[in-house]
Amino acid sequence: MSDQAPIVAARGVSKAFFGNLVLRDVSIELRPGRIHALLGENGAGKSTLINLLSGALQPDGGTIEIDGRPVSGLTPRTAQRAGVAVVQQELSLTSELSIAENIGLGALPRRGGLIDYRALAERAREACALVGLDEPLDTPVAALPLGRRQMVEIARVLYRRPRVVILDEPTSSLSAHEAQTLAGLVHRLKAEGVAVLYISHRLNEVTALCDYVTVLKDGTRTADQSLAGVDPQGLVRLMVGRDPGDLFPPAEPHPAGPVMVAVEGFHAGQIRDAALTVRAGEIVGLGGLVGQGQEDFLLGLYGAIPARAASAKVGGLARCPASVAEANAAGLAYIPADRKREGLFLTHSIAFNLVLPTLGAMARRGLRDRGAESATIARLVGQLGIRGDVRRPVQALSGGNQQKVALAKWMPAQPQVLLLNDPTRGVDIETKREIYLMLRGLAREGKAIILLSSDTPELVHLCDRVAVVREGRVVTTLERDALSEEAIVGAAMGVDRQAEAA
Amino acid sequence: MSRVMTLLRHRAMLTLLVVIAVWVVAGFARDGFASYGHLRYLLELAAVIGLVAAGQTLVVIGGGIDLSVAAVITVSAIALPLLSPAGDPTGIVGFVATLALAGFIGFLNGAGIAALRIHPLIMTLAMATFLQGLLVLIAGGSAVSTDNPLVVWLGSARPAGIPAGIMVWVVVSLAVLVYLHRTPGGARIYAIGTNPLAAELSGVRIGRVTMRLYALSGLFAGLAGILVLGMNRQGYVGIGDPYLLSSIAAVVLGGTSILGGAGTYFGTIPGSILLVTITALITVVNASPGWRSILFGTLVLVLLLLAGREQRR
Repeated sequence: MSDQAPIVAARGVSKAFFGNLVLRDVSIELRPGRIHALLGENGAGKSTLINLLSGALQPDGGTIEIDGRPVSGLTPRTAQRAGVAVVQQELSLTSELSIAENIGLGALPRRGGLIDYRALAERAREACALVGLDEPLDTPVAALPLGRRQMVEIARVLYRRPRVVILDEPTSSLSAHEAQTLAGLVHRLKAEGVAVLYISHRLNEVTALCDYVTVLKDGTRTADQSLAGVDPQGLVRLMVGRDPGDLFPPAEPHPAGPVMVAVEGFHAGQIRDAALTVRAGEIVGLGGLVGQGQEDFLLGLYGAIPARAASAKVGGLARCPASVAEANAAGLAYIPADRKREGLFLTHSIAFNLVLPTLGAMARRGLRDRGAESATIARLVGQLGIRGDVRRPVQALSGGNQQKVALAKWMPAQPQVLLLNDPTRGVDIETKREIYLMLRGLAREGKAIILLSSDTPELVHLCDRVAVVREGRVVTTLERDALSEEAIVGAAMGVDRQAEAA
Repeated sequence: MSRVMTLLRHRAMLTLLVVIAVWVVAGFARDGFASYGHLRYLLELAAVIGLVAAGQTLVVIGGGIDLSVAAVITVSAIALPLLSPAGDPTGIVGFVATLALAGFIGFLNGAGIAALRIHPLIMTLAMATFLQGLLVLIAGGSAVSTDNPLVVWLGSARPAGIPAGIMVWVVVSLAVLVYLHRTPGGARIYAIGTNPLAAELSGVRIGRVTMRLYALSGLFAGLAGILVLGMNRQGYVGIGDPYLLSSIAAVVLGGTSILGGAGTYFGTIPGSILLVTITALITVVNASPGWRSILFGTLVLVLLLLAGREQRR
């Protein structure tokens, strides 16, 4: 069956956002009756590729083909008409409307200008039966648990009788039973000759369900092959792939400094019962898939969200800080992931951004000391290599330079503990290298660094130790000699655990 | 030449130039408008708006808005006689007690906004409604008069020929300008007005700053209320009403962004003067109070539109 011509294909597509190439010369073919897995770490370009295939984005280079004919200017509407349907990762349901209305939305049967509720109910019932939804059709979606909503979302897509179904992490909110129903459904779609593109981080699921795999890494295709005879470990190897090169400064042996952060039985947000120790001069990584609670770990240590611990030493405090200001006073600094939203005052000057955290410390008799501020700004700008007027708004800087400002603004405060939330996300290679050098330098100066990263090579090459977080728990802490991309990705996806259990 | 252009690009300077131009034109068009006495009178009126707008400027830069200023003015004007004990020959007790009350009302606004996360529009509007109800209960609709010596002095004295109210305004202006532009606390107001999340993660105590801003706004509105009472010698329900729109208009005319994070009190000062000048010009036109109000509202809108255009460039 899978020898048939592809329904939808991408041929050498590329896509850049703001000069940042996120997809480079990628090809993929979705054939009828084939369950095709799309794998890659966060930021590898999976979502972009899906958006290109479904018409939400236009490629900068290469072509999208439907039924063998290149289509230019594909829109979500034309893609839908050609039979391409996407089950989004973020639910797109209208929670105030009923199950039936949500399923029919956008293609509501009408009679005399009004919704034909009888026809709608009939067609919705069919779609619900397919996915095993037995709730009354007039139930508002808001009343359903997350997993059931996901099933409504899928029913909504099937209602249109698509020829290509793209499932973007469909099982992340499903119960085991629902996931099983979905697997049966996917098999049925395959038998009916539908092309399925299946994105999942659950590798066991992928090997059990899928026929074929395409792997993306940093925007390029690193594998495109049949899945026959490939086990989850083999998938991890496929995903980790090539050599990261000399992007990372070499590790330096360093004496173990005093303990700067030590928590046990730590709870904050999603994080439950975690333990972590960081000494001065160490870089400790927080790894795992996005959204497993790593961010809450940092925010809890930083006093930005409520946290408690059985025992805690956080910088100069013998407990978890109750506020950010208290954390700052205890020697902590936090560099957020979304610098534009959380780190910077975009419309204000570079100078303003650089001195804000330390204004109070530099003030004399309650008044700002302009001389001290200028000296600090000049020193920081020199270190960062930012040229030009510091009175320019920080939004005039490139993403990389903005990130350097977000990092450097803490340096005058002399923090002893740095909490970094994915500092190199969306940053070009050159700035990445500079940031790595900065981090190494800071560690050498004796700072304790906690580095949350979605970039696995970064964790392997920079960290003394990596705590891998999964579903709110630290599932394993890998020491320097046990650090490898395979080990981190495996732990993050729970492959080890399941392999042991088997 | 380029320096002149830079100055012109500053909204504060622009507003000041508009004020001067209006004064010159009105002075030629109408005898007595540009006389020292009349201009001094205009400034005296502008002082009241300027005081209310001082607090409003701080709040707006911090990303909020204070719709309770008119009610606080009225409360202060009516409460002052009640809070002035007969045994105090200076009147200082009543003065301080009234300011404390006004500041406390503002603090409650700030506490509601910071601790209970109520939107500033809702919080301050509810506070205004609450205060109006309270006033009806306390004052019962009748006017109160005062003989508090300090307040009478503030409303009528002219040491060295300059009305005391204007002097108060000058002192407050200097203090506000220093606070905004020369202290760490001032910079933090801009920070929370621009990006509250980034401010919090940068160690700014948002709750504390918010409560301080609204307390200051209450305090300045209270001071304005006392000044109005001193100038009128009488306080009544509704005495503060004209100052709500005026204070917000003065802030925006002066170039402060209503969205927060950008602006300066240096612009609000000519903004306040411009507003009283417009009112004076409207009074010259022989129109009924209803039409005057319509004209004032229209002119404020037109000026704001023009000012908004300028800002977007």
